[in-house]
Amino acid sequence: MNLSTAASFEAADAEPVVEQQLNRLLTENGPALLRLAASYTNTTSDRDDLFQDIAIALWKALPRFRGESSERTFLFRVAHNRAIDYLRRHRAPTIPIDPDAPLRDSRLNPEAGLAQEQQGERLRQAIHRLPLPYRQVITLTLEEMSYSEIAAILGVTETNVGVRLNRARQLLRQLLENHK
Amino acid sequence: MKLDAELELWREQWQSSREAPVLTGLRKRVARESLYMRIMLMADVLVTVVIGGATLALAMRNPRPATIILAATTWLFITVAWIFGLSNRKDAWSPSASTTSAFLDLSIRRSRGNLRAITFGAILYAVEMTFCLSWVYHESGFLSSTLIIIITLITLLFAATLIWYRKRKLTDLTYLSNLQRDQSAAE
Repeated sequence: MNLSTAASFEAADAEPVVEQQLNRLLTENGPALLRLAASYTNTTSDRDDLFQDIAIALWKALPRFRGESSERTFLFRVAHNRAIDYLRRHRAPTIPIDPDAPLRDSRLNPEAGLAQEQQGERLRQAIHRLPLPYRQVITLTLEEMSYSEIAAILGVTETNVGVRLNRARQLLRQLLENHK
Repeated sequence: MKLDAELELWREQWQSSREAPVLTGLRKRVARESLYMRIMLMADVLVTVVIGGATLALAMRNPRPATIILAATTWLFITVAWIFGLSNRKDAWSPSASTTSAFLDLSIRRSRGNLRAITFGAILYAVEMTFCLSWVYHESGFLSSTLIIIITLITLLFAATLIWYRKRKLTDLTYLSNLQRDQSAAE
């Protein structure tokens, strides 16, 4: 079942407005949320579990959304909060950086057939190695969020977003360089 | 390579994964979680109504000093438990759209609240059991071996559950505190 069919989840007695809003948000942001979930998890099935958790959290949180921020900011706040909760429940390591450990060869991944996808896979693996505070900032930046949006999602200052982003980029560059 | 060009390239690579998520049984999970939450909310009320109501009914049907003391003390325990429960949960409400940093704070407060509740639960259980056994002894003049065995088994089970739960919550708290420390270190 794909998202468009699944997201219509036969909501007979659900709030129709919330359901429509959720449908639209998941359709527009599904791939971005899946990428976010992947950055917090190690396997595809964990990623999918976390995505389900995020969808449920959104279902519950949407009726309380009063437009204090953009929908996308709200969506990513809820998603990150649920991801933090997921880490706690699964005691997932926040993975300290280890530049010496090799990145997996993405060519071995049959799903990453195209060159860009292979590069993407390599980048995702490298991002996954970053400590969480840097990982959060870089993934949100790569989802085209502004400093102020990232600050509003994570609850830090814009200056701090800049500091974290610079550090994240350095670490990421180092990881990618070491494993060319 | 220019920094912005680098970021742009990474964005393209990052977003090259356009996989659409699959959602299955979402509605069922929402319903199941909502039901579970309602049951948890109702559990406190149910205990109050059943135990408090039973002792009150006993005191009204058979108004003797012993039954009145039983009802009054039971309601005292219930009141203390409710006051503790409400004050302990006061700061642990869920800001659905709060920031990740605020959510982390909230999760830590909840974990600490859970640990306080475990200590409170252990103390309340000990006081209640002492009172109940004293009351039974006062009423019947002895404590049967069957009753003592049952109470011992219940106490052991309760203690084991509390120890397991406390260990779990301590691990949660340590994990969350480390996460918060990592976040602060990045500032």
